[in-house]
Amino acid sequence: MKSKLLLPNRFKIIGWSLFIPATIAGIIFTINEFQIKWLNTKIFAIIQSDFLGKTKFFKIIEANITVTLIGIMFIIGAMLVGFSKEKREDEYIAELRLSSLLWAVWVNYALLLLSFIFVYGIDFLTVMMYNMFTVLLIFIVRFNYILYKNSKKAPDEK
Amino acid sequence: MKNNIKVERAINGFTQEDLANKVSVSRQTINAMEANKYIPSTVLSMKIAKIFNKRVEDLFFLEDSD
Repeated sequence: MKSKLLLPNRFKIIGWSLFIPATIAGIIFTINEFQIKWLNTKIFAIIQSDFLGKTKFFKIIEANITVTLIGIMFIIGAMLVGFSKEKREDEYIAELRLSSLLWAVWVNYALLLLSFIFVYGIDFLTVMMYNMFTVLLIFIVRFNYILYKNSKKAPDEK
Repeated sequence: MKNNIKVERAINGFTQEDLANKVSVSRQTINAMEANKYIPSTVLSMKIAKIFNKRVEDLFFLEDSD
């Protein structure tokens, strides 16, 4: 079956090798907000606002890129994991992928809605930060769980 | 929709894996069809019927709820 908008299967392994360390680093970051010192660097920014509210456009700025790197690794990794073909991609897997994606969007926005109602102040920024990543995360967990469940059930009998 | 795939598979002595390879789908797909959790496309139904040398109607049956 032809499947559009999916990457070849070999990208999946690259995806996992970015996704897993990025997730671990992300979890550690949310606990202690570490910054790796040697990642202080000059970098090109389209927009940067400092604490005084001054905004710079299209400037080379000084910044620590720990969070940037974790975020980039997570997004690229998760996209590769979620949107690479399975070893044997077929119509059922395609349907599973789409229904998992739909499920993930439902769950994600249900959680966001709850956060909107019940979380206020600076903590809502934290919610928004997590929310950047949760759709992909929920999707990957759901899709792989269903695949796993399906491969285990009904051990093959003759 | 119901199907006879499991029975036909047993008659022909195929494992799920064998059948999956013959029609080039994943084993999960055969598993899900046999559990009536997935209704195959027309193409896949006809491919499976061809493997068993049956007509599609002899393999797949409509239910009242369909």
